[in-house]
Amino acid sequence: MGPTAGLAFKPVHLEEALLSSAVGLWFEIHAENYMVAGGPRLIMLNALRQAAPLSIHGVGLSLAGASAPDDRHLRALKGLCDRFDPFLVSEHLAWSRVEGSCFPDLLPFPRTHEALDLTARNVDIAQNFLRRPIAIENPSLYLALEGHDWGEADFLAELVKRTGCRLLLDIANVVVSANNLGFDPYAYVDALPSAAIAEFHLAGYRPDPVHGARLLIDSHDAPVSEQVWALYCHALRRFGAMPTLVERDGAIPTFDVLMAERDRAASLMRIGGKVIAHV
Amino acid sequence: MSEHAAFQEAFAEAMTAARPIGRVAREPGFAVYRNTWLHGTVEALRATYPSVDELLGDEMFAAVAAEFCRRTPLRDPVLTRYGASFGPFLRRQPWHDDLPYLADVARLDRLWLESFCAGDLCGTGGWQDKYSDRRATVPVLDPTTRFVWLDTPAVSIWLAIQGEEAFEGLEPAWVAEGALFVQRHGRIWAQAIDRLTHRTLLAIAAGNPLSDIAALARAEAIDPATVLQPLVTSGAIQLH
Repeated sequence: MGPTAGLAFKPVHLEEALLSSAVGLWFEIHAENYMVAGGPRLIMLNALRQAAPLSIHGVGLSLAGASAPDDRHLRALKGLCDRFDPFLVSEHLAWSRVEGSCFPDLLPFPRTHEALDLTARNVDIAQNFLRRPIAIENPSLYLALEGHDWGEADFLAELVKRTGCRLLLDIANVVVSANNLGFDPYAYVDALPSAAIAEFHLAGYRPDPVHGARLLIDSHDAPVSEQVWALYCHALRRFGAMPTLVERDGAIPTFDVLMAERDRAASLMRIGGKVIAHV
Repeated sequence: MSEHAAFQEAFAEAMTAARPIGRVAREPGFAVYRNTWLHGTVEALRATYPSVDELLGDEMFAAVAAEFCRRTPLRDPVLTRYGASFGPFLRRQPWHDDLPYLADVARLDRLWLESFCAGDLCGTGGWQDKYSDRRATVPVLDPTTRFVWLDTPAVSIWLAIQGEEAFEGLEPAWVAEGALFVQRHGRIWAQAIDRLTHRTLLAIAAGNPLSDIAALARAEAIDPATVLQPLVTSGAIQLH
């Protein structure tokens, strides 16, 4: 059986990850955390790769940046892919680098025709260099920018058409963005090109401490919300079962707690999202 | 400049400004990006300098690190490469005389991380390939070896923070100290070293032959084996 539901890998869970016998379990790592010459991190990753399939998720290519992806960064990413043979490589519809400065964030932009041309150029560069398609993740958005020529789903569909890239549908990001910007998350999912979907992400979020629930933060430090589970079921019905990742980057619970969420995703995949879970 | 590039430059400038201006900057959501940028950079620095964090405490570390981050843009998305100048920045702070060992502790945190991320060519056979043409009488450093000599007792303080020595009530003698870091079997071994060991490591790093290196010990009436053998055993150097 191929990868079904997986977890964002946390080094603190290495031992349990190596010992787990869950069918279809896989792990996703952030590429930039393993861009080192050697040492314990790569030893650990090697052990993990022996035990389970891996997905490599980048956060630093700045594919929606005005400038082309950094050569050194691309080489490092290719080095990881060549060494660890991931079943999927993914990045973001965002920028994080300008004029020699980087930002540890995934930043928004007006989805103009020019932005589409530049993003398509950058995705082409990355895919040609890596010699494989990459999946592009929809962002979590907090600002209603002016000057869009494209809706986000249409922008992603056109990007798929121009580059042959695939899509990583982050369900939590859709829920967060829809809440913050005021659009229908179900209509957004329905507008995506079905054949391009390669992976789902599920995560928790929190209301902003100042503005409350009208501004949700994609914090990755809470259990997957029921709104996300419900939209995930909808996505499963529309797109079919795709490798699904449960992410948690803060307030990290025990491996068992994360596996319970992962198992819920795996169960929903098996039945094709036919039930709306606990809405 | 394209409109896309102009937008990104303006956004980045507003995000990092002391007092951002403009319509976008007034939106509640803008603060999310601004906070994520600063929080992410500060936490990257905290992960690189855990002993400095321990000495300053969470709140003061965050304040000092935020000041450093505002002045020192991230140039690389690989966060372990960020903040190499944090130690010198600490040394320039007006309160540094109250913690005169702090910048040296930062240096040790940095060296630990460098060793942690370094390639172990020995483990992959690369060591042998790289040095197979060298004369057997020239010792070489392991690629993961890092060492330093410091004017303060920062090594004793750093080791105490790691739990290697008692930290509570620590009152180290105010003497210069050296440290050696080497990656072995998936972990980093850190230890204090004396002046002769440091000079020996410097000579090895410079590519000196074994005879010259041994002469350093003999000049102090010390058997060279007592200096070199622990370095070989720890994996810090290799004699072919």
